[in-house]
Amino acid sequence: MVSVATPRTAARKALLALLGILAIANVDVAHAQPAQHMHGVAGTKPARPELGTSAAFAPDGALYAVTKDGQHVLLHRSPDDGRSWDAPVVVNTEPEPISADGENRPKLAFDADGAALVSWTRPLAKRFTGEIRFARADDRRHFTAPVTVHRDRQEITHRFESLAVTGAGKVVLAWIDKRDLELAQAANRDYRGAAIYAAVSDDGGRSFRPEQKIADHSCECCRIAITGDADGLPLLMWRHVFEPNERDHAIVKLGADGAPGSVARATFDRWRIDACPHHGPSLAVAPDGTRHAVWFNEKDGEGRVFYGRLGDGRVEGQRALGGERAAHADLAVVGRRVAVTWKEFDGERTALRAEVSADGGATFSPRALAATEGASDQPRLIRRGDALLVFWRTETEGMRGYWLE
Amino acid sequence: MKIRNLIAALSWCLAAAASAAEFQPLDRVAAARIVDPASHTVPTIVALWSSECVHCKKNLKLFSEMARGDRRFRLVTVAVEPQFAGLAELLDLLSVPGQRFAYGVDSPEALGYALDPKWRGELPRTIFFDGKGGKSALSGVVTEAKVRSALGL
Repeated sequence: MVSVATPRTAARKALLALLGILAIANVDVAHAQPAQHMHGVAGTKPARPELGTSAAFAPDGALYAVTKDGQHVLLHRSPDDGRSWDAPVVVNTEPEPISADGENRPKLAFDADGAALVSWTRPLAKRFTGEIRFARADDRRHFTAPVTVHRDRQEITHRFESLAVTGAGKVVLAWIDKRDLELAQAANRDYRGAAIYAAVSDDGGRSFRPEQKIADHSCECCRIAITGDADGLPLLMWRHVFEPNERDHAIVKLGADGAPGSVARATFDRWRIDACPHHGPSLAVAPDGTRHAVWFNEKDGEGRVFYGRLGDGRVEGQRALGGERAAHADLAVVGRRVAVTWKEFDGERTALRAEVSADGGATFSPRALAATEGASDQPRLIRRGDALLVFWRTETEGMRGYWLE
Repeated sequence: MKIRNLIAALSWCLAAAASAAEFQPLDRVAAARIVDPASHTVPTIVALWSSECVHCKKNLKLFSEMARGDRRFRLVTVAVEPQFAGLAELLDLLSVPGQRFAYGVDSPEALGYALDPKWRGELPRTIFFDGKGGKSALSGVVTEAKVRSALGL
């Protein structure tokens, strides 16, 4: 058989030769990564929305949520408790970077007069840096231009903010701040973790007092819990770094002027690790002053979500919630009713679960609320009067509410 | 083989040739393969990290220095987040060698479970293979001695 050399066959031969050389050169990569064929070329960016969302009921009972869409924070209103959502309102007219994944998300609260208060972290150019941003809308439609809440404008960490309106209309913003770490590093001194700073507004968020340091040595990237104590003053709980590297939790009460009281240890699991758990606590106070909390820690070699009542130097009724993969719990309290919710991956799906207590946390009954095949945000527990709603955003089902009867 | 197919294969090879320094999207199947001890015939470190993890740099620096100074073991890094512009910054800064993965289209929960059912999301998380079927995992910043011990070096 005579081979006839044509330009076409010559090109084919040249390509085959080149392919052979490249195949040999890539044998290790190809051997280790056959599954990569399924997703095409290396470096393809998957389209995944950042699901970090907050929800709250306005004083008139309407359900609202804030999400991120590109470089905008959006305020959504549901006319039917989460079954459907109206067209959203843009919070920041001018686009800017916004954090909305994992422990970061835009926050939402309502002033007593019904004004919508929204905060978020704006990441800056350098890694781990950001600013805490805040905007207010009297009519929940037309927001003021966002302000940076803190006076300190260094390009450093001011991130992972939490927002609450507690007692007497005080608006509290607390965040993780590394100005003290930066100072220590500049002076070649050791410094454990980061710090918690907070700013308080006495006029519904129209202005903020200068920020104050709440505590040194917080963990670096876990959400902060803020709630009102029985007397209405703000209580903060966060993951702390106790000496030498115990990542337990701390709690502090702020005075009416925002100045912190003494910082107390709240949990005693003694998880010694130099790592980022990315798993912050939640806290709620009953009318009788009982402090109910949920948190994540590794204890006796097992990473678990715990519920407990925070006492003076001890935890009462501490127990693990759900199974081995229970995660990102939240809780709320209405009188003697205590409700906790969390999500839990079973190997195929992520389930949304809850437990409700009618006796101040002594006993609980379980609830299976929903499940999703895809990605999901952390669940939130919010209240409208005496009613409790679990709010959960999933990639597949969107934003939904589940009443706890 | 048609020329069109040849060109397609060539394109894939060119992409793979560049992939040592680029991120490959990780799915459940690839994740399961990466953490299967049978996949590793030499000591291997699979380092889970993310751009949000302030403690990951220490481990990545150590692993990078060790891997570049000792060719007896392999290093594989997995960013537990989707790829974005700038994700490679830290790895490039530390000259981290080896294959680089970032989370693909499967849900983060599914990928995390496939990588390590005992892992609860804390970072850094490192999975060690001794190349003889042995496997262990550690969370947090690790020392060189621990790494060598886990790899059986």
